[in-house]
Amino acid sequence: MIDLMEVTSSNRKCSAVTGSARKVRDNAADWHNLMLRWDRLSEEGFDVATSIVNTKRSQSEPLLVPEASPPSSSSTQPAPGAAELQERCLKLLNIMEKMSAVVVKMERLAASQEALRELEEFRSGSAGGAAPLFHSWTARQFEDTSRLLLSAFMEELKLKQVIVQELAHTASSDLSMVYLSCWLHQPFIPPQSRLTLEALLLETGHRPL
Amino acid sequence: MSRPAVSALHQAFRNSFAALESNQGLWQSELAECTPLLESLGNLAEQMRALSNVQISSTPLGAFPELEARLRFKLQEAADTVLQKLNEKMCRLQSAKDAISNQLWCVLQLYEQNETSLDLQAVTERSAVTPSVADMLEWLQDAERHYRQQFLQRKVLLQMVTVRPDDLALLESVPGRWKSLECPDGEQRVTETLCRVSFFLDLQ
Repeated sequence: MIDLMEVTSSNRKCSAVTGSARKVRDNAADWHNLMLRWDRLSEEGFDVATSIVNTKRSQSEPLLVPEASPPSSSSTQPAPGAAELQERCLKLLNIMEKMSAVVVKMERLAASQEALRELEEFRSGSAGGAAPLFHSWTARQFEDTSRLLLSAFMEELKLKQVIVQELAHTASSDLSMVYLSCWLHQPFIPPQSRLTLEALLLETGHRPL
Repeated sequence: MSRPAVSALHQAFRNSFAALESNQGLWQSELAECTPLLESLGNLAEQMRALSNVQISSTPLGAFPELEARLRFKLQEAADTVLQKLNEKMCRLQSAKDAISNQLWCVLQLYEQNETSLDLQAVTERSAVTPSVADMLEWLQDAERHYRQQFLQRKVLLQMVTVRPDDLALLESVPGRWKSLECPDGEQRVTETLCRVSFFLDLQ
């Protein structure tokens, strides 16, 4: 069971770990916090996306009662629900921007892991990076884990960006439902990514063994 | 003399109806908890149907070549999780059903052991607070049959889905079929039975 509590500076377990290991440990905590933030934004986005689809559906249903205003009156007023739809689309765009920012931070984490691995290799020569930093993982394994997580989230972000662009313009209810399914189920984030995060936290001592 | 046999049967009936009362409560609460699970299942089936109806390659999602397979996998995984939870509920429903069946079996065994000393008068005799042995046996059998049939029908329905996991039409039909298995009359009869024996249960 993943502990949903965010790792902050106050509850980050202090230890005598220094140098590269300390940086790797901090990166692991950052991965956890970023994935938590991603989940919260994704849930918020799903609610907004669903309301966009529902608003569109109610717009496309024909009026049961004919409009009271005469047809000759000016039609500069927007269709009912259009303002609402626009507001929700803007809200979703805003959420997307925040999710993009999360992925940018994830890119920095992965880059940091790569730099740490290079540093370990430089320090220890050609056999360097082969000694475990904590229990069993080498710097290379930390780097690979970061890359794995990053590529999943980058692909998922691209998918969400397409959904945000297309959702409000989709007439087909089946396609709308597929967009919502994609948003909710996040097909590019494999189930084992949560396990990967847990393994990272276990290895760096954020979770007790 | 049939008095000792009747007394023994009365005690067995008291145990049985007490068990019936507690297991009715258990049955109803577990069954109510199945409702949101069935809704989730219906929702997932709807999502799977929408995915089947859409030609992904001719939509903007066509830019993601593995998308359809990955989404289908995730939807199936989610459906499997819901079915697993439903199976856990079925285990608890089975416990309630078995408890009632076991009580009936005990009463029937006791009745058969004492058949020779139980004459027609003994089994049909009743008072203001004590129903007759014949009536109580009938009510207990009716209640046991109701829960047994309810359990078996629901079990068969869920097993069909397990055996045919790729049958989307079947999955879509499950919530409707589950709802159609409701038998409010049967539940009502159990409640009425418990009312009829309430004074009898208070006697010791």
